Amino acid sequence: MASDRPVREAENRLEHFNADRERLLAEVERRVVARRVAESKLGGDASLEYVLNDVAFSEIKRLEASQKKNGALDRWKDLSRRLMQMSEPDKEQELRDLVRYYGRDVVGNFDPRVYKFATGIGPSLLNTLFSPTTAFRQGFGVLGNLDQRIHPDGEVELARACAERGTVIITPTHSSNMDSPAIGFALMRAGLPPTTYGAGKNLFTNPFISFFMRNLGAYRVDRRLRFELYKDVLKEYSTVLLEHGYHSLFFPGGTRSRSNLVEKHLKLGLLGTSVTAYKNMVREGQPNKRLYVVPATINYRLVLEAETLIDDYLAETGKSRYIITDDEFSRVGRIVEFFRKILAHEGSVVVRFGRPFDPFGNDITDDGESIDRAGRHVDPASFIRGASGEVADDDQRDAEYTRALGRRLAAVYPKLTVFHSTHLAARVMFDAVAKRAGTRDIYRLMRVPQTPIPKVEALAAFDRLRARIAATPAWGAEHPGFLTQASADKLADGVRGLSTFHTRVAVEDRGDSLYASDMKLIFYYQNRTAHIPPESAS
Amino acid sequence: MRGDTVGIVGAGRFGTALGSVLARAHRRVILWSRDPAIVDAIQTTRRCPRLPDAPLPEPLVATADPRELAAEARFVVMAVSSTNVRERAKELGNYLDGSHIVVHAIGALALPVRDGAVKSWERVSDVMALGLPTLKIGAIAGPALPADLVAGEYASMVIASAFDEVVAEGRRLLNAPPQLRLYSSKDLAGVELASALAGAYTVALGLCDGLGMGAGPRAVLITRAVAEASRLGQASGAEARTFAGLAGLGNLLVRASNRSVDYELGRRLAEGVVSADSQRTEGARAAIAGAELAAKLRVRMPVLTGVAAVLSGRAEPREAAALVGDTVAVEE
Repeated sequence: MASDRPVREAENRLEHFNADRERLLAEVERRVVARRVAESKLGGDASLEYVLNDVAFSEIKRLEASQKKNGALDRWKDLSRRLMQMSEPDKEQELRDLVRYYGRDVVGNFDPRVYKFATGIGPSLLNTLFSPTTAFRQGFGVLGNLDQRIHPDGEVELARACAERGTVIITPTHSSNMDSPAIGFALMRAGLPPTTYGAGKNLFTNPFISFFMRNLGAYRVDRRLRFELYKDVLKEYSTVLLEHGYHSLFFPGGTRSRSNLVEKHLKLGLLGTSVTAYKNMVREGQPNKRLYVVPATINYRLVLEAETLIDDYLAETGKSRYIITDDEFSRVGRIVEFFRKILAHEGSVVVRFGRPFDPFGNDITDDGESIDRAGRHVDPASFIRGASGEVADDDQRDAEYTRALGRRLAAVYPKLTVFHSTHLAARVMFDAVAKRAGTRDIYRLMRVPQTPIPKVEALAAFDRLRARIAATPAWGAEHPGFLTQASADKLADGVRGLSTFHTRVAVEDRGDSLYASDMKLIFYYQNRTAHIPPESAS
Repeated sequence: MRGDTVGIVGAGRFGTALGSVLARAHRRVILWSRDPAIVDAIQTTRRCPRLPDAPLPEPLVATADPRELAAEARFVVMAVSSTNVRERAKELGNYLDGSHIVVHAIGALALPVRDGAVKSWERVSDVMALGLPTLKIGAIAGPALPADLVAGEYASMVIASAFDEVVAEGRRLLNAPPQLRLYSSKDLAGVELASALAGAYTVALGLCDGLGMGAGPRAVLITRAVAEASRLGQASGAEARTFAGLAGLGNLLVRASNRSVDYELGRRLAEGVVSADSQRTEGARAAIAGAELAAKLRVRMPVLTGVAAVLSGRAEPREAAALVGDTVAVEE
């Protein structure tokens, strides 16, 4: 049965963003200040004195640890000193100023000219504007053919319908700092509107990427600021954006997957604002405004920062650095290499969209209506209503709903995974080395002496792996553009990819045999297939 | 008022006893039974034929219509058997929405669906989640026997859910001091597993008593059962201490002392009587499923695997009993 809710024309809502910006910021300020002032009546940790002191203390600590000493430190020391003598109205004013200050630090921008440029005439012009060197020209020249390089597929039609009916939240896996531009192009190619998204402030240090991010709806997330007031501002900003119908993008995994494993344990982060935004909309009498969470995977043939990420993962498994500031992404030359070598390969990035969920993790019909696990229609507004039908606030409940949504996303990611030749070749090499060593423990495999893997053996294993994947859609699928490619060619292509892009050669081709030259990189690429059990265990 | 009414699904012994305790504490209760004769009997005689000793005073009403239960109660207790829970949840789910809270009182594992994929066991809450639209699901468990509830004896249970609201509402609506007290837990997986395994260990205790083993071996069995169940729980993501609580140890002690069907099954096995229905009690199923889970998670569980082996005809009762002492004495 078709929904009787009006379907709005697909539109780029971000075009209105600049006109909306002050209104959005004022709303964020109003809500955060009102909530904090109301909570301060409880005293103790909720008092304004404590909240302001938390900000000042955190900022002083951060700036004292920073290499750059400037006048900012004095500001926070001054606040810390004045705090004891401030009246409640003064504290409230200080709170208001701080919320405004952090709001302006976070807020994004959308320049339709930059969007048009980036998605249309930009690539050819980029050569002229950003090509002081030959390498740059070679690098950005490939953007002209970006259409062939970044391939969106999956539930694109449904995602588009959802973007017309309501507000969509794209929730992709996260492997690389190139994810934001990659998915930006994928959305454009899929006929989906651009989204706003939070990007780590450290990414804005790259002038090229920063230019586009600043003007294409990205807002800045400063992960160094750990105090509650900043998190409040950030969450409220995201909530207000969703309520005002701005399509958004969150990486539920948090930071990039260091191991390249398909993410299982999601940090969720700002994804929780989807329930809050929906609750606010229902409370405001708009129960038919809908939010849809669209899972997606971004699948690279080669990942720009693979070497740094896997080194970081293996050096500190389980406690990887939260912010990496010295990876390949910070080196302009490597970015050029990325465009020149990675994107030069046809279909080198596949973005696969899955069926959307509602904010509670329920499936939806093709008409955008929520259905439960038994396939029955269910009113999403009922999830946030109390016994008398009133909208009830309960942060713990909402957090649990978000965890349930996270579990659904994590469950669907493997199925949406697209395997490139590099993943399959790495898996075959890993399995062969592991079989000879009698272990799959990467730390032990890293110390195993190189042994030849006959190509005949590798090819047979490659064939079997392809057959197993084809028979088990729940594990994911091969790249749709190369489904019929002969295994010998595909294996050769994978080996070529693993041996030519990174500074270290992962797999060496020496005549009749292949050699695992860098187990770390092999481990990294095979990890994309790690949810596929070894042959003997399946 | 809808928010202050408790819905109970199933007019079996526990559902009726719980309804009786709550109604006697002036809590409004609506009890859904599929059997119109039982509904009639409750409405006319204020007694349920399945537990005639339990008075069911006026705040309790019975209905054969699940729509009525869904409309009048936001908080629902599923008190049906593990073999029925899948079907009943799906039927009830036709009338619930996302605002309802549903907890179950089923101390067992749900019957697996073997439709190609091999599933050895499922937690009842997982099965309910497939049939109900609400995500606010929980469990109550503990040594609250229907007879004790009816007789006005002191009883305690634990209510567990990932949602604080479920636990808070459960404690608000089900607490009926001094007869029934509800403790809270966030360890839903632990409470469900502990409660189910208690049934399996009840079979073991029946077996132990049937073989005439003394108080010492019996005490060893109980403590080793709690220890190995805790290990399995931890490996499954539950908290070890839950297994020494009301749902685990509490349930085990009360079932063994109450001559339950699981306990009687253990005694029959000790006497060498193995009938076709040996594997049909909740405890027997939990033993077999638990042993499969232990093998999958590589958790050493000599007591449970011993019981499962006897139930499957792969071991003699005396052989299994020898395992109680555990062949390898390790740090406790």
